[in-house]
Amino acid sequence: MTPTVGFVGMTHLGLLSAAAAAAKGCRTIAADPDTSRIAALEAGRLPVVEPGLPEQIEEHRARLTFTSDGRSLAACDLVYVAPDVPVQADGSSDTAPVDRLLAWARETVRLDAVLVVLSQVPPGFTRKRSAPGAALYYQVETLIFGRAVERAMRPERYIVGCADPAQPLPTAFADFLSIDGCPILPMRYESAELAKISINLCLVAQLSVTNTIAELCEGVGADWREIAPALRLDRRIGPHAYLGAGLGIGGGNLLRDVATATRLAGECGSDATVLAAYEANSRRRGDWAHTTLHRVLAGVAEPKVAILGLAYKVDTAETLNSPGVALAQALRGGDLRLHDPVVDPKPYGLCAATPLEACAGRDVVAIMTPWAAYRALDPAALARTMRGRVVLDPWDALDAAKCKAAGLDRYVLGVSS
Amino acid sequence: MTTGLLHNWPEPKAPGRVVVLGCRGFVGGAIMADLKARSVPCLGISAVELDLLSPAAGEALAAKLHPDDALVIVSALTPDRGKDIATFMKNQRMMEAVCAALADKPVAHVVNIGSDAVYPDDASLIDEATPTAPGGFHGMMHLARELMLRSTVKCSLALLRPSLLYGAGDTHNGYGPNRFRRTAAKEGKITLFGAGEEKRDHVEIGDVARVVRLVLQHRSQGALNIATGRAASFHEVADLVASHFPNKVEIVELPRSGPVVIIHRHFAVGAMLRSLPGFRPVALEEGIAAAHKEVAHG
Repeated sequence: MTPTVGFVGMTHLGLLSAAAAAAKGCRTIAADPDTSRIAALEAGRLPVVEPGLPEQIEEHRARLTFTSDGRSLAACDLVYVAPDVPVQADGSSDTAPVDRLLAWARETVRLDAVLVVLSQVPPGFTRKRSAPGAALYYQVETLIFGRAVERAMRPERYIVGCADPAQPLPTAFADFLSIDGCPILPMRYESAELAKISINLCLVAQLSVTNTIAELCEGVGADWREIAPALRLDRRIGPHAYLGAGLGIGGGNLLRDVATATRLAGECGSDATVLAAYEANSRRRGDWAHTTLHRVLAGVAEPKVAILGLAYKVDTAETLNSPGVALAQALRGGDLRLHDPVVDPKPYGLCAATPLEACAGRDVVAIMTPWAAYRALDPAALARTMRGRVVLDPWDALDAAKCKAAGLDRYVLGVSS
Repeated sequence: MTTGLLHNWPEPKAPGRVVVLGCRGFVGGAIMADLKARSVPCLGISAVELDLLSPAAGEALAAKLHPDDALVIVSALTPDRGKDIATFMKNQRMMEAVCAALADKPVAHVVNIGSDAVYPDDASLIDEATPTAPGGFHGMMHLARELMLRSTVKCSLALLRPSLLYGAGDTHNGYGPNRFRRTAAKEGKITLFGAGEEKRDHVEIGDVARVVRLVLQHRSQGALNIATGRAASFHEVADLVASHFPNKVEIVELPRSGPVVIIHRHFAVGAMLRSLPGFRPVALEEGIAAAHKEVAHG
């Protein structure tokens, strides 16, 4: 039987998960005590940029109820508590929104219903919230900004934290998870909570190795783009490994988990020196753009710079740990023109209406987010409108041969220039 | 972890009076000259006016300080004056006097000129987050002095750690651009250890003065390395120095004794670039050319 599923907390994770549940055929209650947030959703205004999400919501709107009335949750067999967890300045998580919404849900969920914490929480969180009433579980979320709809519709597996993993999952919960036909891995709460961190640390390790070798490539005349495919064919590494060279560890979630694991290791007395190395490497590679500019513009007084892209990656408006924002801040006070198709550049400097307008008369163009619009830029047109010839293209967005033909000096991550 | 300086004055302002302790040395002299050129009111104090090793040095320094002053501390016995325990202890006594003065007469801002010797000798890539672990008395001296200041100073404290310095006015004769220029001029040759493979980040003295000025103008606090971000081998440096002499300068490679371990020293300068937007260190080619010209023209 298809359960009625509730989601509490209508920010990125909750909204996306609710839309996916509706798309899978479940009657879905999408609840949030914030009436203005619900009103915006009712009016079709989404709080996030996520490819495919508006269309999915529209297509399955008949099964999806947005409400700020907590009593609606009484209709649910299964209620997920799924607010986004803010990352604080020190890299730690602020789990207060989870506690608030968990308490809000507990006021109205049925005693025979199942409560599931979907937000990422540190090990030990869920067991401390166990209480009489609806059974409490934790489920690992694996949202990826920009690919969240695809991930929610085709999960690789479900990792479920339980008070006692030897006990079978409640029927409504098991029925809901079974819809996707992927493996379901019940384990104790703490294992599931740490599993989420473990996934991210493995990704951080791959990215850190990638970034370390990419920097070496730049120094020894190699090209990481030639090496990475060879690694992907190694069965021990795999085709989906995180081998894209980057400007440190992007976004906030991966570094949050480095910070969480470091804190946990401190509490437990376990070794976390490798985590400190990941963090240091990320910070140094995060400086790639402005240290490269510093190197290549040694002879240019007061350079004019265009920064294309302020989102931390494509298909999101998220700017936490954004390389473009970091570069704009590092060059503050200088002559900057900024453009981003989604993020408003005004807080960071003067903005331009189009990418080419931003590049007009510039000594340097830095493509800090490889949006499709920037990949489509014609290097010849770029060269004609620029004053200088330097293009920072960390993610290799532009066509190499055309850039060469246009006489552009292009700098790419992991490629010796 | 965030590294670099915190600016208490986000927009630059003219500092009050700047007291430069150790104003007649290579570094202090450059700082004084830069500040004076910009009409910043300065009081230079050298060992002639105040012997920091004298018993009453603390009181004497305190008598010269005003609450609105910024104090730039350069005074130290450099390695050419000794790398032994006695020199180490003298340097600590000098800073003890400075700290006594600061405890008695606090000022508004303290800037200490230390050294990258606080980092491990074998660290090949250094930034401000690199754990300090000096390998000798010189680095230990600077680290201990930083700690003395941290424990004493209640106002904004900037700890600057320059890499190897060079410039026309350098009186030291350490292995590097200055010695190479002198031996090239005097003997027509430059002598390298081995092939001079070791890479180091050489900082033109004017850059230290400029960084100090920016730090004063922003009333900055925190630790910051001063480096260019580009390490060059001693052989490259020798070639550059030699290129400025009209006659051929012989570059002699002395065989190394014992097992050869080449240690390079690079600096990641992201924190410096972030902390001081617009500041660009002098390129090695430019700095060596300028030093050569300055020496040639007296």
